[in-house]
Amino acid sequence: MDDVDPVLILMAIVVLTALAFDFTNGFHDTANAMATSIATKALSPKAAVTLCAVLNLVGAFLSIEVALTVTTAVIRIQTSTGGVRPELVTDGGFNILLILLSGLAGAIIWNILTWLWGLPSSSSHALVGGLVGATIAGLGFAEVKWFGEAEHLDGVVGKVVLPALASPFIALVVSAIGTKIVFMVTRGVAERYREAGFRWGQIGTASLLSLSHGTNDAQKTMGMVTLALIASGQWHDLEAIPLWVKVACAVAIAAGTYIGGWRIIRTMGHGLVQVSSPQGMAAEAASAAVILASSQMGFALSTTHVATGSILGTGLGIGAKVRWSVAKRMVFAWLTTLPAAGAMGAIMYLIGHLVGGAAGAFTVFGLIVLSALGMYLRSRRDKISSANINAEWKEDPK
Amino acid sequence: MSQLLAALDASWRILLVGILLGAGLPAVFAFGIRALAWGSGGEAEDHAVDEVNKPSLPGRLVAYSIFTLVVLMVLIGIGYIAAHGMGWVITFDGIMPVFTHK
Repeated sequence: MDDVDPVLILMAIVVLTALAFDFTNGFHDTANAMATSIATKALSPKAAVTLCAVLNLVGAFLSIEVALTVTTAVIRIQTSTGGVRPELVTDGGFNILLILLSGLAGAIIWNILTWLWGLPSSSSHALVGGLVGATIAGLGFAEVKWFGEAEHLDGVVGKVVLPALASPFIALVVSAIGTKIVFMVTRGVAERYREAGFRWGQIGTASLLSLSHGTNDAQKTMGMVTLALIASGQWHDLEAIPLWVKVACAVAIAAGTYIGGWRIIRTMGHGLVQVSSPQGMAAEAASAAVILASSQMGFALSTTHVATGSILGTGLGIGAKVRWSVAKRMVFAWLTTLPAAGAMGAIMYLIGHLVGGAAGAFTVFGLIVLSALGMYLRSRRDKISSANINAEWKEDPK
Repeated sequence: MSQLLAALDASWRILLVGILLGAGLPAVFAFGIRALAWGSGGEAEDHAVDEVNKPSLPGRLVAYSIFTLVVLMVLIGIGYIAAHGMGWVITFDGIMPVFTHK
């Protein structure tokens, strides 16, 4: 063991952790595309997660664009071409790798914690938060890019905070209008025909959302893994991603999706608003349109925020009952994701740095495993699975 | 401050496109469902028990052409996602999409 370069050990741990994050990203976001389809029984729970997983896998392979710029919007560890700044890797890349590891650790722990609470928080916010926290701890405040220049939306505020504030409202308005029109047009059509017809529409729009999730989110992890390889000097091509990285990331996100974050699916499908098929289709169409329109404009928003905004909107559009206590908890999770994942990322870095060397990396990794295991065991006390996903919602289960 | 303005500028554009496509397409789809109800002879509409409604072919035709249109839009959406993933930039000249490689 002594003759193995600690940088290589750390690199291997970073790659493993990044794939673990990708996995949590998968199950955390199944709900975004599939919660309403499962709630209205357009698809059986198993069919829904299978369809979503396959489309995520396909989507991940569709994105051949090189995503090395995944961190450049928020932290300054890379050059403009995507490489790691040479003055930061004079130690063989150890410090940068520890920052990446700690950032991922913060993101994973927050993702699992919010899953335990059944709250749809944004995985990309968790990742950005973790990385920013670890960067502050490892390199200082100045290496975080807070604002973009002039009109160009960039930095933590321009790329993350502002879109996060705007996107739920945009989705809410679109979805409310869509729902209202749909109900006006189909008024008088017998209930059973209406439900059946809209189920097909739901499946189509849900598929669209799943595919777009695969292309966007798997790419982020591919970028992180490749960055770790570059920082440790194991990869030099800035124009390509190793094939095994692509395959591993695609499989990790699809596997996570297939496992299904049932706790979150339940909150989104039943907790917020009890959705019917026409509502489900209107909400999903709103999400898909808003997400595609934003990606066209380079406005980086979170699928999670859009999807929850749409579901809320579809309830408000026809004046259905909205459980505001659930909505409040959700908004709380949105607001805390960035700072909470950041704090965890920073703490992880400090622990890893204090212990030092390969042992430090192992300590951080061990902490992730321990906390994940602990939260998983806690979740078994009130298990939610494909079997009881559509059970009646009880107010604030404690 | 300029960041805030830039975000607002992007927001209202997204809102506009969102309403057009995100609320427009479900509305069109809803007309299809309505037409399908006529196509099944109004059986699918709320009606009195003793009332007999004859199936109407135009209703069915209208319904399926509307569904084809919606499916087409979804396919365009998939094409859009795929093209973006492959590193193409799509701009719109009027409403005709123009593909350019980054």
